[in-house]
Amino acid sequence: MTVTAPAVAVPKRRRRLDLNASLVVGVVLTIGFLAIAIISFFWLPSNPNIPNIKARMMPPFSPDHWLGTDGLGRDIVAQLMVGARTSILVGAGGASIALVLGTITGLVAAAYGKFADEAISRGADILLSIPGMVTALVLAATMGSGAFTTILALSAFFTPSFTRVIRSAAMGVLQEDFITSAKLYGRGRLFILARHVIPNIAGVMIVQFTLYFAAGILTEAGLSYLGVGVTRPSISWGMMLNEAQQTVGISSPLAIWPGLAIVFVVLGLNLLGDGLRDVLDPKLKRRSA
Amino acid sequence: MALYALRKLVFFIGAVFVASVAIFLLIRAAGGNVAAIVLGKDATADAINALATAYGLDRPLPVQYFDWILGMLQGDLGQSFRTKEAVADLVVGRLSVSIPLALSGLLLGLIIAIPVGTYAARNVGKPSGAVLALISQIGIAIPVFWAGILLSVLFGVRLGWLPTGGWVDWSQDWVGSIRSLVLPVLSLGLIMAAVLIRYVRSAVLDVMNQDYVRTARAVGMTRTQALLQVGLRNAALPIVTIVGLQIAELIGGTVIIEMVFSLPGLSRMILANVAAREVIVVQSTVMLIIVFVIFVNFVVDLLYGILDPRIRNAT
Repeated sequence: MTVTAPAVAVPKRRRRLDLNASLVVGVVLTIGFLAIAIISFFWLPSNPNIPNIKARMMPPFSPDHWLGTDGLGRDIVAQLMVGARTSILVGAGGASIALVLGTITGLVAAAYGKFADEAISRGADILLSIPGMVTALVLAATMGSGAFTTILALSAFFTPSFTRVIRSAAMGVLQEDFITSAKLYGRGRLFILARHVIPNIAGVMIVQFTLYFAAGILTEAGLSYLGVGVTRPSISWGMMLNEAQQTVGISSPLAIWPGLAIVFVVLGLNLLGDGLRDVLDPKLKRRSA
Repeated sequence: MALYALRKLVFFIGAVFVASVAIFLLIRAAGGNVAAIVLGKDATADAINALATAYGLDRPLPVQYFDWILGMLQGDLGQSFRTKEAVADLVVGRLSVSIPLALSGLLLGLIIAIPVGTYAARNVGKPSGAVLALISQIGIAIPVFWAGILLSVLFGVRLGWLPTGGWVDWSQDWVGSIRSLVLPVLSLGLIMAAVLIRYVRSAVLDVMNQDYVRTARAVGMTRTQALLQVGLRNAALPIVTIVGLQIAELIGGTVIIEMVFSLPGLSRMILANVAAREVIVVQSTVMLIIVFVIFVNFVVDLLYGILDPRIRNAT
């Protein structure tokens, strides 16, 4: 009868084990992903955009084509490798712009008075309630599709989440005693933000970036699947799934590989983000659980 | 409560206004000359000017904006440049596909996520809890359209139980309509569930640490009783909020799933009009969707205020 035991008595050792597993798997998957993208600049099995009629629809595990070829005879491995580049460009690009804009707006909201805070926070609330996928469609309608439009759309609807997270992290830091003493010492607001606040919220920023890198890859794949994301000669995993469904039917192995690639990479980045959060920001541990 | 409701109403109206300006500017600023976009690259300057004059596209932007918004408020969503069909008519026909799909997907997600998330919270630190957390992580990493593709390969192509795509209208054969919706709803619901499980789990974890749960257990309730009788009602608050926030995600998922299963819903219409460069159709339809999402969040906020006095009395 353990009536008095607190409901969540997690043994410390197990918690630590848990956290490391998440981080290690995340790091391994992410490094593998980055390495494949880098290798693709120096070596590819064949040109992923040039059709080869003689080698159409080769099955997986063919000697020249490890994962086979698509309906036009283009090598799947080569396409997957170049697709990794697109994922990084668009996912990291969107998350980076959102990080910069979100940091600026979040810090201003946290440090520049009640009016700025109210305006920025309410603005972020509004933007958060706009469905990103639909906004991206509007952008594609007016600007045409492509990697640049996709990055722009992603950063537009990721920024408000960054603003929120960075604002609340910065507010926490701004209440600390060392900020008061820096103010008493005569330091200006910008100096305090740059020298004291940003280093102290860097962990939150890194975690947020990692998680939205993953979200960006998922969204880019979705947009390219719909045909409003990146277009050839760029290659996207979402686009490959679209082509597989259009040209050869979904039951072919062509519809398996790009999906698996997306799952591994997104899972890796999410685990990395969660693992980093536990390491970098012990206060947030519970929420990430 | 009246004051709280009023504040939320002001926010709702403000949000709709800001969103409408944003959509309008996005289209005008990013797109440039609407008449030129509609007519495409080969259009002559005369043709562009004629179209612009006919539709009032040469007037100052604020005038065009208020024209559009006042029309929307009166139920006039504009019309297609090519087919001259009213946008409102185009939209209404599509809702009989999109609304059942989105709502059933959300419902399925909740039906899975609430018990599973609660179970995972009860078993933190045990292998079963860790396995559920891992399954949820993998589910989050699966793109909803790939889930749709896999399900349609398994149940449509291999087993042949359900259609892999296409649509029969409700009035013709409602059993056929439901059969067409099963796989799309399943894909949407499973992926929603993966995301929601994490939120439910952390909401329940929070509640489990609260004093009132400890008190309930001190007066003799078992852990399960305490959780069901006092805990779940409190955990419901953050879950309601998350559902509000997930509405935007839900609509994104619905857009994509309609494409996977070739359902003639709202998103197929939007995509077709994106391709046809029907700027006004896209602009009005997207605005409708955004108003809907903001409205759901407004209702969620009101609910939250009704459920929790601390929220509505906070300044």
